[in-house]
Amino acid sequence: MRIINHPILGEAAPRKNITFNFNGEEMTGFSGEPIAAALRANNIIIHRYTRKFHSPRGVFCAIGRCTDCVMIVNGRPNVRTCVTALEEGMTVTTQYGAGGGA
Amino acid sequence: MSFDLMVIGAGPAGLSAAAEAASHGLKVAVFDENALPGGQLFKQIHKFFGSKEHKAKMRGIDIGIELLEETDSLGVKVFLNSPVVGLYKNREIVVRQKETVRHFKADSIIVATGASENLLPFDGWTLPGVMGAGAAQTMMNINRVKPGNRVLMLGSGNVGLVVGFQLLQAGCELVAIADAAPRIGGYGVHASKLTRTGVPFYLSHTIMRAEGRENVTGVVIGQVDENWQHIPDTEKHFEVDTICLAVGLSPSAQLLKMAGCKMSQNGTPVCDKSGETSLYNIFAAGDVSGIEEASSAMIEGRISAAAAAKKLGFISEKSFQKRSGELDAALSELRQGMFAPQNRNAPLEKTDEGFNISKSLLKKGYITEEEISEYPGFKPGAGIRPVIECTQNIPCDPCRDICPKGCIKVENIVSLPVYDENTNCTGCGLCVAACPGQAIFLTDDRPGKVEEGKVAITIPYEFLPLPEKVGPGMAYDRSGAPLCPAYVSKIQESAFLGKTPLVTFVVPKNMAMRARFWKAV
Amino acid sequence: MTDRQYIIGEFSPASDDDLIICRCEEITKGEIRRAVFDGMFNICEVRRLLRCGMGLCQGLTCGRLVKSVIAGEIGLSATALEDATARAPMRPTEMFIFAKEVTDE
Repeated sequence: MRIINHPILGEAAPRKNITFNFNGEEMTGFSGEPIAAALRANNIIIHRYTRKFHSPRGVFCAIGRCTDCVMIVNGRPNVRTCVTALEEGMTVTTQYGAGGGA
Repeated sequence: MSFDLMVIGAGPAGLSAAAEAASHGLKVAVFDENALPGGQLFKQIHKFFGSKEHKAKMRGIDIGIELLEETDSLGVKVFLNSPVVGLYKNREIVVRQKETVRHFKADSIIVATGASENLLPFDGWTLPGVMGAGAAQTMMNINRVKPGNRVLMLGSGNVGLVVGFQLLQAGCELVAIADAAPRIGGYGVHASKLTRTGVPFYLSHTIMRAEGRENVTGVVIGQVDENWQHIPDTEKHFEVDTICLAVGLSPSAQLLKMAGCKMSQNGTPVCDKSGETSLYNIFAAGDVSGIEEASSAMIEGRISAAAAAKKLGFISEKSFQKRSGELDAALSELRQGMFAPQNRNAPLEKTDEGFNISKSLLKKGYITEEEISEYPGFKPGAGIRPVIECTQNIPCDPCRDICPKGCIKVENIVSLPVYDENTNCTGCGLCVAACPGQAIFLTDDRPGKVEEGKVAITIPYEFLPLPEKVGPGMAYDRSGAPLCPAYVSKIQESAFLGKTPLVTFVVPKNMAMRARFWKAV
Repeated sequence: MTDRQYIIGEFSPASDDDLIICRCEEITKGEIRRAVFDGMFNICEVRRLLRCGMGLCQGLTCGRLVKSVIAGEIGLSATALEDATARAPMRPTEMFIFAKEVTDE
């Protein structure tokens, strides 16, 4: 899903590869990119399941407004993954409901 | 901490306001909730319309870089990761920074908080894979990750059309653009760029449902009648993994409301000519004061900043009159033409010059051969020459300005461009690359340059991979239908073309006025 | 619209009542419609009853949609209805952050 070469933006600038943990699985992403982008590149598009109807949600606005993409990051629930930078060794977990049970 | 001016929002309007104010000597701070400045400008990788003074034919992303250099050099303080959580009429703001909140005061405030995307609920719209068109743009142009592989776009306004094209540039497949309205809402030239690559338009169609249990696996659209009621048995199904919504924008005016500004019924603050709200020295500029293009937002920001500078005594009444006169003139130029705010609901029937607007363009996204021959830019003939397929009055004139030989005439900024046959087109292709609507092509049948009975057609080609020279391919017409085999004779890339490569392909002469796109086979 | 005696007729279920309008709090169109028929003719009342617009995103996503559902039931244009009250904090902010407010600047 990564756009390596783009007709207008050119070749992607080299970025630092790092590893993070998604639901217990080791994945790689770029340091500093939004968590949501790293997940999309790893083909993960379900970020959470809602409290009432247990329905899946993913990236919807990508600019930190809608809060649909929130997940549990390093143990903290309700983190907007579209505007939170990925860091080496981060633990990212699918959020169920308000995330209190994690 | 206190400033002469605080600007809320570091998008096109906010940065322009900050730069203008700082240039008049004000101590300026800009606050933005994001980690990077620029607002939505850095997602705008297409060339802007307008004239030189509106930075026309520059891409939004390059305008953003230029604006940041300007604010930097003028010593504007930009606070990032700093959402303004409160605005009060005594010109005080409360800002969240890291794990604390801080208070700032200023003599003047310009609110440039922009807009947010409108949404449309339908069965399945909460599934992962349904997203705003702006979200798709952020994913692909900022984060450089494809939002999905196969996409359906809902909405044919300029946002839908521009993001649709950018999806193609990112390497996604755009299966269709649907819109409940009976005609394409955005510029005809933006639609034509998509149609000729094979993207179909479904007007008077809306989304019935998104399919999928855990994420989007398909979408069903259906036709609606003039009262927006679904017509049974008109459903069309597409296998897609992404559905993008581009159904308009609304001003993000909550801070102004909170401060107590008088609001109009459409959700925008009531402002005077300089953007000052009902509250003393609190201004609104850009989309928050009414949805328009980024080019207009940038001028609005400067107008408000100049007014603030005058009110605070940084510039004299006389120099304010001069500066605001220039800015007002630039803004009113952009507010002309058939897509101007005041003409938003007017029917599109005739151009200012009296030409019929192409019905096919409004319904299907391309001009038919019969229709195109009516327009003044379309003058088929021998030799090398531009064919200008610009058929709606949009404020834009880079084609005229860039031609070194003065071949293209644009009477006033919204007039349709005309090719002057008494000039000598050299075939440099600058107009082809400069046209933000990608609506100019070159035809060349000069003996000795092009084989007998053939014609070479030059098109703008902003896709990867670029064709192989002399590679086999197929020419396509305006509707995206394959026409005939065509080989590529030339590929041009240079800094002068502003990252719009030109591809020249050769077809039989009778295809000169039909072939408008090329694909490898 | 504050006249609670205003008669808008009998509530009747509609085929799209299950449609989610407020994504954060998962409030459906049917619930909002029902609230209107119960006499709540403005956004503030409806949101206090149902919590639509009071979730994580603070109504940034559904504000306009809720308004149009309410307006549709009363038979008004959406622009005729007051928006929800705008008040600080404009972005979700945890209480401990407010507790660390810097006031001596």
